[in-house]
Amino acid sequence: MQDYDKLLFAALILGPILFGALALISPSRGLRNAIVIIAAILTAGAGAFLITRTPLQFFMEPWTAHLATGLEFLIVLIVLGLAINIRSWLIAAMALIQLGLAASELLLPGQGGGTESAAPQFVVDNLALILVLVVSIVGSIICVYAIGYMKHHEQHAPPTAAGSGRFFFFLVGFLGAMNGLVMANDLKWLAIFWEATTLCSFMLIGHDRTPEAKNNAKLALLINTFGGLAMMVAGLIAHLSGHGENLSDLTAGWAMLPMALLCLAALTKSAQLPFQSWLLGAMVAPTPVSALLHSATMVKAGSYLVLRLAPAFSGTRLAVIIAIAGAFTFAAASALAIGQSNGKKVLAYSTIANLGLIVTCAGIGTPLAYAAGLFVLCFHAASKGLLFMCIGAIEQKIGSRDIEDMGGIMFLMPVTTVITLIGMGSMLLPPLGMLMSKWLAIESAMHAPLVLFLLVVGSALTVFFWAKWIGRIQTASYHREYKAEKLPFTILATLLLLVLAVVAGGLMTMPIFNAWIIPVVRGMTVAAWTADGLAQLDLAGQLPMWPFLVFLGLGLFVGLISFARFKEKNVREPFLCGENIQGGEHSYNFRSIGDSVNTAWSASYYMGSFFAESWLTPWVNLLAWMVILMLFGTMIGKL
Amino acid sequence: MTLTPQMLTVILAVVLGPILGALVSGLDRKITARVQGRWGPPIIQPFYDVLKLLRKEALGVNRIQIIYVWLHLAFMILTVVLLAMGQDMLMALFAYTFSSVALILGAMSVRSPYSRIGSHRKIMQMFAYEPVLILLIVGVYLITGSFQASSVAQQPLLVKLPLVFLTFLMAAAIKLEKSPFDIATSHHAHQELVKGITIEYAGPYLALIEITHFYEIFIVFAVVASFWATSPAIGLGLAAAGFLALIVVDNVFARLTPMWMLRYMWTVPLTLALSNIIWLYCA
Amino acid sequence: MSASSKSPWIVHYNCNSCNGCDIEFVACLTPMYDVERFGILHVGNPKHADILVVTGSVNHRDVRVLRNVYAQMPEPKVVVALGVCTSSGGIFADCYNIFGDVSKVIPVDVYVPACPPRPEAMIDGIVQALGILERKRAGEVMPSAAKPVLTLRPTAAAEAAPAAAQAAEQGNA
Repeated sequence: MQDYDKLLFAALILGPILFGALALISPSRGLRNAIVIIAAILTAGAGAFLITRTPLQFFMEPWTAHLATGLEFLIVLIVLGLAINIRSWLIAAMALIQLGLAASELLLPGQGGGTESAAPQFVVDNLALILVLVVSIVGSIICVYAIGYMKHHEQHAPPTAAGSGRFFFFLVGFLGAMNGLVMANDLKWLAIFWEATTLCSFMLIGHDRTPEAKNNAKLALLINTFGGLAMMVAGLIAHLSGHGENLSDLTAGWAMLPMALLCLAALTKSAQLPFQSWLLGAMVAPTPVSALLHSATMVKAGSYLVLRLAPAFSGTRLAVIIAIAGAFTFAAASALAIGQSNGKKVLAYSTIANLGLIVTCAGIGTPLAYAAGLFVLCFHAASKGLLFMCIGAIEQKIGSRDIEDMGGIMFLMPVTTVITLIGMGSMLLPPLGMLMSKWLAIESAMHAPLVLFLLVVGSALTVFFWAKWIGRIQTASYHREYKAEKLPFTILATLLLLVLAVVAGGLMTMPIFNAWIIPVVRGMTVAAWTADGLAQLDLAGQLPMWPFLVFLGLGLFVGLISFARFKEKNVREPFLCGENIQGGEHSYNFRSIGDSVNTAWSASYYMGSFFAESWLTPWVNLLAWMVILMLFGTMIGKL
Repeated sequence: MTLTPQMLTVILAVVLGPILGALVSGLDRKITARVQGRWGPPIIQPFYDVLKLLRKEALGVNRIQIIYVWLHLAFMILTVVLLAMGQDMLMALFAYTFSSVALILGAMSVRSPYSRIGSHRKIMQMFAYEPVLILLIVGVYLITGSFQASSVAQQPLLVKLPLVFLTFLMAAAIKLEKSPFDIATSHHAHQELVKGITIEYAGPYLALIEITHFYEIFIVFAVVASFWATSPAIGLGLAAAGFLALIVVDNVFARLTPMWMLRYMWTVPLTLALSNIIWLYCA
Repeated sequence: MSASSKSPWIVHYNCNSCNGCDIEFVACLTPMYDVERFGILHVGNPKHADILVVTGSVNHRDVRVLRNVYAQMPEPKVVVALGVCTSSGGIFADCYNIFGDVSKVIPVDVYVPACPPRPEAMIDGIVQALGILERKRAGEVMPSAAKPVLTLRPTAAAEAAPAAAQAAEQGNA
């Protein structure tokens, strides 16, 4: 390992934390913004540079083991302090147990007889590389976006809100913690960074310090501490049973119990059912936080961990349950999204559903499924980050995040709306990434009937809520010309950057799949994989892109020409039985009884009798807990 | 450039598809009229309709809806191309779904309650038939071991997928806007929502929707015929039988409410299709 | 005849009609007359229509509705006015709520007088309208139709004719 690899490593983990600290202490807003931009550029650059250096292994100096122990205690103590501060005795109890676990790990000798494992503490393989790229590029873009957003937010935030300096410290520092998490190989380091992301998200969700924000931050801390606890128990069992304390030691022979506990931790972090409530509550935070939590960091940590473990548990009963848990989340979260009119909540449920898809793919575990999981992970990060940024901009303009209020924004803010449309289109449109990954996932689920059925149901439900929403935001009367709205530069620049990435990536899905994903998957050695499965992977890669591009291009081209050539004299009001008011304020006003002026309006279908959140959530949670119990039930058979 | 048989199939399907679809549509109107004791329009009436619409004034409510009507057509042709190339069926289904979504989005972009309610009902229709179509593809995969559309020619699928065939006909009734499922827009006069989803499209734009619908008819009956792809004669007979069955159903049923459709499609046909799929898993 | 005149789609607007014309007009769709054999469809939406069929005299509220419906039809389009009321206000002509006849609001291309006209006469009127539609599509500017001559009270000759027929009938019996 060369020195500049060490530097790169430090830049990815310590860099963001350091710059975050600088942002915290910087006296003026201008300086702070400059620091955030520099941090973003450096982190993104370091992430991109990592491509050339992969694979990498980092062997830390022996003294860092003590550092890790110290950090572990420190973080657990912080959590304990926070828990006491917010009077949450449940969290405090869990933190105390964690403290006990950490202490017992220190005191009890492992079965390995105290010999140091030869495995590196940090590893950058292709999976970690993909995650680092997502974190450092998409995450950095979101941090820059936050500059413009927070300037506006400071003026409208409740007086209780914390300072922006602290906000940026946790926002930028989050990237460092996340990078550390995905590169960590040693379970102890993994747990440290895992808890660090939990702390960051707690601080960020509670940023506004309103009662709602405080409550939801507490909920996030509670559920994620529970996950952290599961992870520490897994670490302790691994330590005591002497199976090795590194992720790279995980093999099919590795004890299944710690594996299941790690999966449980991953499910909490990814807000999989029944742990979804914290992510929904996280919506109270300023939108850059939601964007970061949903696309680049936090929830991706859980799906990363499942993907990381997938080769180890592939083919076991644990894998079957994981696949069902993911697929159930996919279907149920999509159903819950239909009943929502709160735009951010719809996005949240969509995130949960897509993470469920990744978990399903990891559970199915064939090469094709694994490739599909990686695909969802990349494309979802870009699309969802973009969508949250758009909704944030829209919310600041119209003062509402309700879907029904978003009619007419096409005229109000055409640039943002078109970008939002592209972002939403990227979740539905055939040659683009999200749809391709759904296609791969369904094809790979063919041999697991229950999983397949849940995916089929979920994919039918997905179309429902997206179409509804897209239809609402592009609703507009005729306008001769659209005038671009004024957006803060950082917001506009980041939106354009990310939308370009989404479009470019979307149009190149099959080349990306063939040139990048297939070699990554083929480069892995998994005992359960057969030549047949690998052949399936290649077959999927043979899907020709040109018909999609040709017809999408033709449709858009001719459509835009017709758009441009449409004459104003051909405009007519919508049909309202002839009762339109000519020359009135709105083309959709009409006269009714007694010559009263009424507005033609039809709300979207939410199908409350089927998909009401309050009605559906208890039932799906019940089923999801059953799946979690089954997760551990499979262990009993093994014991 | 040489013309491979595959390219020839694609070109033929793209060119002849809408013509066949229009003829089927004309035949439908003729037979329906006869069933009702009328003489009915000439079989080539759909051509007259489309030619007339193409030459009418292109009215619109806004400009956004125009882009979507072109995407609607483009993705429907894409579906035909993918199927004719023998490509992945699931991908073809997604292209087909997006074609419908494009129509829905175009209809939603206008501030017309009729159009919006029509498009919501169209979403519910898609929601009702989508699982059935995916299960059809699953069934084909379980029999042939391949997702390629070209694989259906290996053996008569009807033998192993009788219930899926039945449910596909029910889905076809939705796709072709036949009673009892013609809730988003209706071919018969104007009763439902004043033409619902297509209400705000006039002249050439409506003609494009009609042409797309001809492609759709072609796809539906091509799929019905492919249930016995080993013998074209039996396949065509199957398509003709399905066609007649749909006309009979269309004429004897009243239109039903969207929720009724959803409840029905997610219970009876889905159970039928699922049991067919499950016995294939067990076999 | 080109495709335009082989596929006339009709939107029907009932202004202030007593529904007599409307019932007769709908009767055209029945198997007895079956106008669909000419490709005629009865659509509910002006945006899809070629021919606007109006029945009844125009009251004050109808004025803007009729204008709107007419404006929402794409060119080329023709208007067929059915019944006496559309050309004069008919028996409602002097009512307090009546604005007048259809031609005061939109240009009328064909009048089909009678109260109500027979379905055959209506079909005949539509066929006349098809010719006008065809010429409008070719770019001709068509003048509005002349109003049918009103016979407010039967003349002596007209009175005599039915009487003679009645006499002949009785004679036959």
